[in-house]
Amino acid sequence: MSVIKLTGGRVIDPANGVDDQVRDLYIRDGRLIAAPDAHDRISAEYNISGRIVMSGAIDMHSHIGGGKVNIAREMLPEDHGGDPVERTDLTRSSCGHAAPGTLAAGYRYAEMGYTAAFEPALLPVNARQAHMEMGDTPMLDTGGYAMLGSDDFLLRMLAAKEDQQAINDYVAWTLHATQTVGIKVVNPGAISAFKFNQRKLDLDEQNAFYGITPREIVKVLSRAVHDLGVAKPLHVHASNLGVPGNVDTTLGTMDAAEGLPVHLTHIQFHSYGTEGERKFSSAAARIAEAINQKKNVSADVGQILFGQTVTASGDNMVQYRNAGHGSPKKSVIMDIECDAGCGVVPFKYKDQNFVNALQWAIGLEIFLMVDDPWRIFLTTDHPNGAPFTTYPHLIKLLMDRSFRSAMLDTINPDARAMSNLAGLDREYSLYEIAIMTRAGPAKLIGLADRGHLAPGAAADIVVYKEDADRERMFEKPELVFKDGELVVRDGRIVKVVRGGTHAVKPEFDIGIEKKIKPYFERFHSMRMNNFKISDDELCECGGGSRLMAHACRKRG
Amino acid sequence: MTHEATSTVVTEVACPLCGHACDDLSVDTAGAALAVVAHGCDRAVSGFARLSAESSAATPRIAGRAASLDEACAEAARLLAASAQPVFGGMALDVSGARGAMELVDQAGGVIDHMNNEFGWRASRVVQDGGGIITTLAEVKNRADLILLVGTDAVSVQPRFFERCVWVKETMFDLQPASRRIVYLGGALDTTPGRSPDGRAPDVFDFDCSRMPEALSVLNALVAQQPVDGDAPLGIALARWQELADALLGAKYSVVVWEGSTFDMSQLDLNVGAIGSLVRRLNVITRCNSLPLAGNDGDLSMAAVHIWQTGYPMRTSYASGAPKFDPLHNGIERLLATGEADALVWLSSLNDLQAPPVTGMPTIVIAPPSLKLASEPQVYIPVATPGMHHTGHFVRTDKVVTLPLQALRKSALPAAGEVAVAIATRMKEVQS
Repeated sequence: MSVIKLTGGRVIDPANGVDDQVRDLYIRDGRLIAAPDAHDRISAEYNISGRIVMSGAIDMHSHIGGGKVNIAREMLPEDHGGDPVERTDLTRSSCGHAAPGTLAAGYRYAEMGYTAAFEPALLPVNARQAHMEMGDTPMLDTGGYAMLGSDDFLLRMLAAKEDQQAINDYVAWTLHATQTVGIKVVNPGAISAFKFNQRKLDLDEQNAFYGITPREIVKVLSRAVHDLGVAKPLHVHASNLGVPGNVDTTLGTMDAAEGLPVHLTHIQFHSYGTEGERKFSSAAARIAEAINQKKNVSADVGQILFGQTVTASGDNMVQYRNAGHGSPKKSVIMDIECDAGCGVVPFKYKDQNFVNALQWAIGLEIFLMVDDPWRIFLTTDHPNGAPFTTYPHLIKLLMDRSFRSAMLDTINPDARAMSNLAGLDREYSLYEIAIMTRAGPAKLIGLADRGHLAPGAAADIVVYKEDADRERMFEKPELVFKDGELVVRDGRIVKVVRGGTHAVKPEFDIGIEKKIKPYFERFHSMRMNNFKISDDELCECGGGSRLMAHACRKRG
Repeated sequence: MTHEATSTVVTEVACPLCGHACDDLSVDTAGAALAVVAHGCDRAVSGFARLSAESSAATPRIAGRAASLDEACAEAARLLAASAQPVFGGMALDVSGARGAMELVDQAGGVIDHMNNEFGWRASRVVQDGGGIITTLAEVKNRADLILLVGTDAVSVQPRFFERCVWVKETMFDLQPASRRIVYLGGALDTTPGRSPDGRAPDVFDFDCSRMPEALSVLNALVAQQPVDGDAPLGIALARWQELADALLGAKYSVVVWEGSTFDMSQLDLNVGAIGSLVRRLNVITRCNSLPLAGNDGDLSMAAVHIWQTGYPMRTSYASGAPKFDPLHNGIERLLATGEADALVWLSSLNDLQAPPVTGMPTIVIAPPSLKLASEPQVYIPVATPGMHHTGHFVRTDKVVTLPLQALRKSALPAAGEVAVAIATRMKEVQS
């Protein structure tokens, strides 16, 4: 068979403990092999001596598909105009900066060396659309985390004190029905509470109708995900996002998982204290200390970067509260199908604004104070903190202390004075960046053949030209291979490919449908059988994309 | 009546014939055409019968002469390659059809404008200007204690709205469905479906709907506790308006229903903006949401795909090689009338009643064989219908739920999306 050889690159492959070793890589039939055998012939060889080689990057939290993303796109024609993607012989035209079209998003991710991205807030009732949008996102493998926790079916189960086993069955059923790879909870129970006109919901505050607290929801869902053997820990967007002093809620939310694996997402937005004249301060040190101590906890940062973006969230309670801060001032807030909600608010982060500048510093403080790069992930919560296209800039901030200091000197001076960022000397290494953007996400989500470069792995490979300017280095890799095909050369698409969809398939008792089916008929607006997405239909949603199913080993 | 699934009756069928997308239909597949035997409104029954009927005689035509599909696609590609500014109308498609259309319009450097988009783009602009607070059908079904219908009776566009969302047997919460309050704003509406099962008549604020901006101003003022001139705005006692404002303020979860096509076109932005203001103001103290009714003829399916692939809504020109959104400039009626367009593609797989305009320009019609044409186009390609002949996906009125459409009977005809892709592929061959 024909084999592609990458000769002489400096391989950085943390999953296999390889740190900057010169190795030849061989690709056959879309996968890495140890060495060609007698029947193989080298059909193409790339001399990449001196070049840095990593596996394809994986964005474990990026809002790339689904109703709220499409609302954001529709709302922001003024933001798209400056970022056109022109049609070429190979690629289609598209556009968009903060909320790009799926085509633009796929091309740009690939041009930056990303080969997978995961939509973290896939509403079960909107799963089809999310998969269709991700299916129209070329170049990338995709997957979603299904949102539970404010859906009336779960809240009714909790109010009826149904046992954990029944909840596990419902969670597993949801993963199957929505073809997703994990479970997310957003402001637990509060999207429902907002529908009953509650305007805030603390960790131990009851939903007015159900009497259920966010703590209980995090507890049962983290247990369910664990029991079912789903690799990806429960993905938690904690209560009180953006509220000064929310650090206590965030620490309490970690504890609500009672020692089981739990992932706190965009934790920057949940790391705020109330010190200082303006009653807004960094609590990054307490958060980082907690992550360092609690080995069951992981987090992604949700770094903000200055400029125009749009916030798109399932958290309609918080988005409604923050709608007045929108820039441009407009917002869409939705209650959705007794299932969830969403809120879309455009936002412009300003470096001279005290709060925004401190948010910027808090995110960087967390990055630099969390010791274990396997449990902290590089995200901007695209597009909520900044568009994903800012990742190379963010990497430079983490890897280059003098650059970071220079940037720090330009922000709001009061915010600078409130931050300990100037005293944080750490510089991330390429090895640590590779952990945060490749090996770590693959391990967290349970993608055994991605995020590394050992024989057997899918040949998602990125070749960078070493450059002391890390932003320049990471924004334009020389070569990107997706499943063994060269798709990007010198930062330009040379081949358009369609990725696959990751989904987990935990075992469960199908008897749970005896409860779900009548619920749909009595209270819902559609039938259960039309809610569920079959394997065949998933591929149709994806426009012909491939289902990559992952079995789960039950722990419950 | 509930039909059991039998060897020829398929149950839980989703219907693509209006934006409500009911998914509880039973359809008998045995006859020469599909027969909706349970839960079908008149539109569904007639639509399924008409669009699904035996069509083996239908064949592509070039200038009126029978041609193969390949020949017809090649001729369409030739016409589009020769066109400086082709426009794409009709667009009554499901998601797969819309995907194909997007590939073609990009390749051809055209503009897409759905047959319902004259009000659709205006509604979209209100979202771009201010946004909205919006709900969906299951929330209405379970939570709405006061439903205010602004200039619409709902059932003219979504016949089963009251049956499925309002006068239901039960809700999940502390709300008796029959106790809901129904209020119509505007006259000359079919208010019969608003009568509760226990015989309670709806409130009707009877006035000429062209005065809707005034009516919404009165309500907005009263909800904001601002003075209103006169004892009887729009001929209706101020006390009634005040009572309605108080009821909205006192409701736990009111819903304001509107539908773009019922407004005077020149007032659409104004009315939708005023509804947005009313809803925003009510949410300061209680919950209130708007519910736009749309989705007929697949307009939301086409809109969704257009937006997600390129970032922009319809009325975007691909002529320069990059998308340029200009809804005022790029209305295809205008482009056709001024002669700025020089070819028309009419794509439709869900609507066989609205014929393409006769323009005198090269015209390509890709539509169900049951569509009656006023004149013979240069290229005609008959296509199958999603949800009847082939599977597909349909975006419902609330833009959240996408229903899977089933293939219920075989057809030799291609899907509209396949035809669009075939033409785009031909164009690439011609142009390369």
